[in-house]
Amino acid sequence: MKKAIGDNMIPKEWGFEKGLELVKQAGFDGIELWLGDVPWFQMGTPDSEVRELRRKVENAGLVVSNVSTGLHWASPLSARDPKVRALAVRIVEREIETAVLLGTDAILLVAGLVTPEVPYNEVYQRCLEALRSLGEKAARSGVRIGCENCNAEQRFLISPREFWQFLNEVNSPAVGVHLDVGNIHDTGFAEQWIETHGPRITRIHVKDVMTKRGRCGDQSVYTNLFLGDNNWPAIRGAMTKVGYDGWLVAEMEARYRYAPDQQFHDTARAMDRLISGRF
Amino acid sequence: MGITRRRFLGYTAGVVTAGLRGLPLDPTSRRCVLLDLNERGCFRESVSGYESALTSARAQWMRADARWMVPSRCALLIVPAALEFPPPAVRAIVSCLQAGASVILESGAGFAVDRAFRAHRVALRDYLQLQIEAPVDLWPDNSSQRIPYVDYTWPRPAKVRDFSRVVPLQRQEGEGKVIAWVDGLPVALKRSSGRGNLIFLGSPLGPALWAGDAQARRWLLDCLRTAGAERA
Repeated sequence: MKKAIGDNMIPKEWGFEKGLELVKQAGFDGIELWLGDVPWFQMGTPDSEVRELRRKVENAGLVVSNVSTGLHWASPLSARDPKVRALAVRIVEREIETAVLLGTDAILLVAGLVTPEVPYNEVYQRCLEALRSLGEKAARSGVRIGCENCNAEQRFLISPREFWQFLNEVNSPAVGVHLDVGNIHDTGFAEQWIETHGPRITRIHVKDVMTKRGRCGDQSVYTNLFLGDNNWPAIRGAMTKVGYDGWLVAEMEARYRYAPDQQFHDTARAMDRLISGRF
Repeated sequence: MGITRRRFLGYTAGVVTAGLRGLPLDPTSRRCVLLDLNERGCFRESVSGYESALTSARAQWMRADARWMVPSRCALLIVPAALEFPPPAVRAIVSCLQAGASVILESGAGFAVDRAFRAHRVALRDYLQLQIEAPVDLWPDNSSQRIPYVDYTWPRPAKVRDFSRVVPLQRQEGEGKVIAWVDGLPVALKRSSGRGNLIFLGSPLGPALWAGDAQARRWLLDCLRTAGAERA
């Protein structure tokens, strides 16, 4: 298994190159690039600059683990407005294009968003239709789309079986699940999601979650590994059971208030322990 | 190989009566026709919704291109998510109404850009004497407490999820009955037109059909019955 961390964790005032040095020093093998979340990687970033990002990553002794984006929170595939849906599709296409340029084979997608306005059944159908077509494009590019389980925020595909059924209906080997073991909260158990999805898991986001705490102001329900309520030995055991040997990608919402670089080192060490299975 | 005219006619008649038995030669002989405007419509999912609902209701229906319509054979014409109205579509709608059919015309203009909406409004006014207002956003920011339903009163009461942006009706000249309301806005109308009935929907029903809404499907079935286009 290999360790990565998102470039959106890099303090903004540091810049990309200094951030890459820190990621390498902390012991990570790769970096997850967030389209639209960081100044150096936007929808308008031309191919030549994307190639330059790859060069910088490789010069730092790293590789790109995957391409992610948070842009679908504002422009979901499930929107009723066809113009918003067209933009959402374009974002996925750009993720696929840049994944190829960056030498990785996986992208993250927040597939749909259930809201008071747009109900579950509509979201389901729109995501199904969009992903059938996007799956073909991804397959042609040798890239897999990982739909992230954002159970609490997304209110969509909340149980592992429901997610499994959805992927069955999409019926594309290029569409799987980007599993976030911190996102499951009180709606289930991460280890069961891993068992259910096995070979369909494209990447795993790691963070811990305090299931008994709701969001309160700027206090996050998410925390550093081993501080929350996830059953990490069970999660590690499930990875072994299904033969998952891919990327673990740290996605920490709660940030250190001081010494932000220390969080990179601490997270990398915790991930080493997780990989080693010594608890 | 030489062949006489008599023998040629004999062969072709044989092919038609034996080999193609059961295949309707007139493509619009079905009682319900779904007029697909393709890129001139707005929501493909609306077309899919009507297709799915008509199929599960085992209605005798077909999808058609406006250029091949034979209006006299059609009891109910459905035009999903219409935005632009190409001349063949206008001819098909007007001819169906004149021939005594019912026409469900679903507006897809709720999310249209200004110019497209203006053209849509002019077409409805000029060809069908329908007056509509500019689209209304039912879900402005921080409106999660609203009651999200369109209330239909004809042909049966039904509550169907609104579609966020609706095209309300203006006060109409002449006859016509408002058959659905949302937030106090009239959004659907039934009116005699020619020898038929025009049913205008300012809130798309197709996406609700696509999502499997049972009341929306029953509403459509009742429209089929009313139009005499019920079953195969």
